[in-house]
Amino acid sequence: MQDNILEIHNLVTSFASDGRKDRAIAVNGVDIAIPKGSTVGLVGESGCGKSVTSLSAMGLLPDNGRVESGEAIFCGRDLLKLPDRELRKIRGNRISMIFQEPMTSLNPVIPVGKQVSEALRLHGGMDKETAKRKSIEILERVGVPEARRRYDNYPHQLSGGLRQRVMIGMAMALKPDLLIADEPTTALDVSIEAQILRLMRTLQRESGMSILMITHNLGVVAEICDEVYVMYAGEVVEHADVYALFRDCAHPYTRGLIASLPRMTPKGQRLYTIRGTVPNLRAMPAGCRFAPRCERACKRCWEEKPLLQDIGNGHLCRCHAPVGTNGNGGEGNG
Amino acid sequence: MGKYITKRVLVTIPVLLGIILLIFYMLNVVPGDPVTVMMKEHLKEDVIENLRRTMHLDDPFFLRYLRYVWDALRGDLGVSWKLNRSVTALIATAFPYTLRLAVAAALFSWIMGIPVGILSAVKKNSLMDHLSMGLSLFGVSMPVFWVALILQNTFKGVLPVSGANSWQCYILPTVVLGWSSAGRIARLTRSNLLEVMRNDYIRTARSKGLSPLRVISRHALKNALIPVITVMAIQISSLLSGAVITESVFAIPGVGSLAVSAINNRDMPLLQGTVIFTAVLIIAGNLVADVLYSVIDPRIRVE
Ligand SMILES: Nc1ncnc2c1ncn2[C@@H]1O[C@H](COP(=O)(O)OP(=O)(O)OP(=O)(O)O)[C@@H](O)[C@H]1O
Ligand SMILES: [Mg+2]
Repeated sequence: MQDNILEIHNLVTSFASDGRKDRAIAVNGVDIAIPKGSTVGLVGESGCGKSVTSLSAMGLLPDNGRVESGEAIFCGRDLLKLPDRELRKIRGNRISMIFQEPMTSLNPVIPVGKQVSEALRLHGGMDKETAKRKSIEILERVGVPEARRRYDNYPHQLSGGLRQRVMIGMAMALKPDLLIADEPTTALDVSIEAQILRLMRTLQRESGMSILMITHNLGVVAEICDEVYVMYAGEVVEHADVYALFRDCAHPYTRGLIASLPRMTPKGQRLYTIRGTVPNLRAMPAGCRFAPRCERACKRCWEEKPLLQDIGNGHLCRCHAPVGTNGNGGEGNG
Repeated sequence: MGKYITKRVLVTIPVLLGIILLIFYMLNVVPGDPVTVMMKEHLKEDVIENLRRTMHLDDPFFLRYLRYVWDALRGDLGVSWKLNRSVTALIATAFPYTLRLAVAAALFSWIMGIPVGILSAVKKNSLMDHLSMGLSLFGVSMPVFWVALILQNTFKGVLPVSGANSWQCYILPTVVLGWSSAGRIARLTRSNLLEVMRNDYIRTARSKGLSPLRVISRHALKNALIPVITVMAIQISSLLSGAVITESVFAIPGVGSLAVSAINNRDMPLLQGTVIFTAVLIIAGNLVADVLYSVIDPRIRVE
């Protein structure tokens, strides 16, 4: 299994909240593997733990967050057990991140060029002049027009799309082995989104890096990913390559997500929505976490927690009655 | 940028005129005839009459105001009734003492306040944090004269407790005057830094592999200190004007002491001069703070 750039095993992450003794489990035993050179999508509704998963692996959780157990193996080393000093050598150098909000993710009082050259100077050991020259090249590469002039601009002087290009340039500066993109296009309008995705794909082809694409947009997944993990309420509920997922999705939740894609709905029909809301982190159902919202749920689903099982060809699904089976919760009750 | 500053300066002119008008009005409705104050009751009718005319005391209020502004523009703030000397000259003699004290207090409050604020934020909820925030709150909330008396009693014999004839004389007044500013700056620095550390761009900085020290010094501090610097500029002017009690308690012959003596002697031109002088300082301080803010914050700079 050495052809994976990053393997997350059984990750559990919890958060403390003010005035409470117990901790909320935001990520509950997640396994994710990212093959070298491929793009892996991580999808799910807001709050299902996508960001927390990636931040846990990178050691970037906020103060009240804590990894309870698990490992994140990168090049044979467990990131979760590395001392901070060692982890910092990997961050921004071999694993980079892009975040959702390009406005708030760039420092408002530092010129964007400086923010790009910072990583070059830190990890690449370049002097100021070289780093600046290199940064301008990078900005040009990611499609920032008039890069030389833009170098001295502040984030608020750039459009959202340009800011995200700067973020990508920043993340790509040192040609990382893995790029974690946390909803890189969510804040952008559709045409800009397409441009940014195209740029990421081009850069990936050039450098051979792997990408973990975090998104709640299945359209983005279809566009750019090779395989997909679907998360629900802190757990992976389905994993497959992107064709298998769209062709024969097995989990009712995934099916709901796909059905609620606008272009998948015939004209005139109302857009599908998954009824109900995500369960509270502190009041998870005892059985399947999706049961309260599932149209196919039966007694067993409420009582017994389903495991993530291989339903053929490495297609994993956490469901007692995957879509395509007879839907009565398996084992002859009926 | 230049346009912004010009506009900002022009706006202060009517403000200044209004403030002078207000002060001039208030001090002119206060009872107490200057001629009587100056000469006690030893004068003949016609001498009094004559004096009133040369001092334009019987002119309409607004005319006197305009004359005062016109004179003030040329640096003439009138003549002290009691000391019979030019108010401008009196203020010019006293101001260096006030300036020295205010600058010392400002430096004290920055040198104490900013590092303490940063340390408290970095070591949030530690003993150091609680201790320094307690001391800051103490400085902010205790009356100046009370702190002054305590320090005078504590350091009697070790440090000079009154006068202004050596630099040691300034130590206690500096601490007294600067303590509350230091406290305010420490608390502001701490809360701003904590606030800034929650921002997305701090996470971005960390994701680049910067060390915690660099994340703070390169990415957090500048953002956190922008409001602090503004407050510091405003504070300098309030320290200049707020030294009245400190100057009196420590017998420093500054503008504050001058104002107090003017009040005691019902010396209207002197009081008027010191108050207006102080008001100008405050307005100038605010102006400098605004301009400074626009210089250091790139988000305002371009607009
Ligand atoms: N700092 C925090 N303190 C407490 N709880 C948190 C914190 N950050 C995240 N959580 C909780 O962890 C869960 C997962 O959050 P996460 O940010 O990973 O969601 P997400 O899948 O990235 O959603 P989105 O699409 O909105 O980004 C949420 O229920 C959230 O309430
Ligand atoms: Mg997220």
